[in-house]
Amino acid sequence: MAEPMPMPRSGATDSTIVTVAPGWAVVAVAILGALVVAAAALDGALSARASGEGGGGSGGVARPFGEAARLMRQRRRTTVEADSLLWRAGGGGLLITAVLMVTVIPLGEWTVFDLDVGVMWFNAMDVLVWALVWLTGWGPNSAHSLVGGYRFLAHGLGYELPLMFALVAPAIAAESLNVGEVAAAQEGLWFAVWMPVAFLVYLLGVVAFSVWGPFSPALGTDIAGGARAELAGVDRLVFETGRYALLAAGAAFAVPMFLGGGAGPLLPTWAWVLVKTAAVLAVLVWLRRRVPAFRPDKFMEVGWMVLIPAVLLQDLVVAVVMVGRS
Amino acid sequence: MGLSDMVARAAARHAHVLVVETPGWWRTRAMVEREVLARGWSLAFAPADADVLVVCGKPGPQLAEAVELVWHQMPGPRVRVGVTEDDDVAPCLDGAHSRLLDTDHHMDDARQRPAASELLAEHSGMDHGGMDHGGMDHGGMDHGGMDHGGMDHGGMDHGGMDHGGMDHGGMDHGGMDHGGMDHGGGHGGMDHWGGHEGMDHGDGHEGMDHGGGHEGMDHGRHGDMDMSPSGIPLAQGGDDRDGLEMDVLDVRLGPVLPHWPAGLVLRCSLQGDVVTEARAELLDGEQPREAAAAPLARRLDNIASLLALAGWDDAAAEARSLRDVVLAPGDDPTVGRVARLRRRVRRSWTLRWSLRGVRPLSEDDVRQLGLPAHAGGDAYDRLIGMLDRAAAGDETASTGDAAGHTHDVDRTLSADLLAHLVTGLDLATARLVVASLDLDGLRAGHAEHEMSHG
Repeated sequence: MAEPMPMPRSGATDSTIVTVAPGWAVVAVAILGALVVAAAALDGALSARASGEGGGGSGGVARPFGEAARLMRQRRRTTVEADSLLWRAGGGGLLITAVLMVTVIPLGEWTVFDLDVGVMWFNAMDVLVWALVWLTGWGPNSAHSLVGGYRFLAHGLGYELPLMFALVAPAIAAESLNVGEVAAAQEGLWFAVWMPVAFLVYLLGVVAFSVWGPFSPALGTDIAGGARAELAGVDRLVFETGRYALLAAGAAFAVPMFLGGGAGPLLPTWAWVLVKTAAVLAVLVWLRRRVPAFRPDKFMEVGWMVLIPAVLLQDLVVAVVMVGRS
Repeated sequence: MGLSDMVARAAARHAHVLVVETPGWWRTRAMVEREVLARGWSLAFAPADADVLVVCGKPGPQLAEAVELVWHQMPGPRVRVGVTEDDDVAPCLDGAHSRLLDTDHHMDDARQRPAASELLAEHSGMDHGGMDHGGMDHGGMDHGGMDHGGMDHGGMDHGGMDHGGMDHGGMDHGGMDHGGMDHGGGHGGMDHWGGHEGMDHGDGHEGMDHGGGHEGMDHGRHGDMDMSPSGIPLAQGGDDRDGLEMDVLDVRLGPVLPHWPAGLVLRCSLQGDVVTEARAELLDGEQPREAAAAPLARRLDNIASLLALAGWDDAAAEARSLRDVVLAPGDDPTVGRVARLRRRVRRSWTLRWSLRGVRPLSEDDVRQLGLPAHAGGDAYDRLIGMLDRAAAGDETASTGDAAGHTHDVDRTLSADLLAHLVTGLDLATARLVVASLDLDGLRAGHAEHEMSHG
């Protein structure tokens, strides 16, 4: 908290969040981009190691750059009777959604938008992903990609409600939907520590809305790549970048919600935010390789029979604790 | 070296390869996969994802047609190679790599590609070969190499004309006059926004006359045009398993499909992603070989397929690399590693949870269907069974080597059986079932059948 505060947020009680000029959004996007590249490089390295090859001499770290070059060079394509507008909107929308998510995440004490309902904003953005992935599957008028779109919706029915209730827990504890205030409310004790169920369910939700790891049947091998089956060239590049960006944005949002925001010794607050984000992101990337896919039909059962009761119980515990404190 | 050169080099270093296996050429396919991964390249899921198409073996006419369609679906820059000897694998991929770098060639390729409307016209009426995608494809869209030369769309009038399923076959462009045409409305499925690749309007259209008479053109399909936009018939309704009416889509699985038995085509009627009806056939394969198949390696290959379909890339990669070790000449240091893979798979409760209960077969079912005894249980049991046999070094082939049934029986058995086993399942489950059956023997039986008669 060493930095001066030229513009304290009006009405804030214990929050030290400063809204920066809109131009700084470029920096937010640049940071998101750096996280995307780092995550993709890590994934390249892990996958090169798993298949026991050198990954082109760089241990796989250079793979995302090579893939990007490949997709830049590849021709775009379209299919007969494609719904091109909705198709491209779906594929490109993921990246935009991720950018909209990070605008409410404070980097230390700076934020692009200091919304009073920042938590709801993030939640609204992650619901948008439902439409976007489904449109990507619907657009090309192709059976496999449409099946992929439906599968994502099936997963969505399983993960979305638990995710929403997981976001409720920190909001109750902080008595605010403002992201900065939620972070500030964790003085001394991170929410991840005393609401572990909400934290884990939240991370599960992040993996799910990034169509990542166990939640990637919508893009499954068994349906020729699913929702992205017909994407080529720059369209595919944008789609894949969007997935990594969602994963990074989700990891970054975990920091103010569950990991104490910028709190930490020695380093400035913004650096702690980045360190924690990178750590969460690395775990999520690594996790992908360890767990088989959750089949949508089976996961729905888990989502409703296990996750929702568990996270509701968590919310109850948090609420009781808060009532007891006041 | 310019920027585009650098991009081309970086791109070619990370090529994605779609591998087509002709029945009887699985060893070659395995070698190609291994070589592809050793180069740091990737295996493609689908035509849209592929830069290089590698055809292992010599496909018969049916498979060749399917390969041709997949080739049309690949975006450029694209390269196609055939591998017919195991020794050829590395040189073939070297060749593919250098051809990927040949930008001029790819510009020509893009210019000469047939448009989707032409392909549809050519293929309407006949079946769509190996397309495993609902719609037809415009391949790679790029206006870069387009040559509209001296064409003038100015005053043309196509009115409400729909180019959908027209057959341009016998059309004579000779003395036509494009004079008063208007391209304004109604091109049906043609996508002018991205879809001119390969069309050459360069010259000689000046004399066409679309205005008055369409002499020589085949309007036969205009009647049902509303029902088949761009020549693709609309899905028909049908009652689903809950008694509700739901669209039925005809989708073909295979023959060009990763983690799928070579040469197998499953014609499925889908409602949503549930297979309501299926018909299986085995495509022709010329020159089948591999009388001395390596059962252990094939089993590991099956295990890798099943794990990949279950969405566990790491374990699948491990199974695949074990397969490659077994195939390589020399000692066999794999026993310990196979046992470790088996332990790892058994430890995964998520895998057990997702494969448990997938198409359980009782002993009676197994006997009635003529399956080998180890096909009993559900998909999880079958996977563990495969791993157990691999870990025990069980070198007997899955089924085909067992004496007692003729190859003809094998052939019909595998086709009808699969259709029977996948009906009523959703796509993912159906594919897990196919992969869990350890079907090599049936396919090998088919190959031997071909050899002894052909």
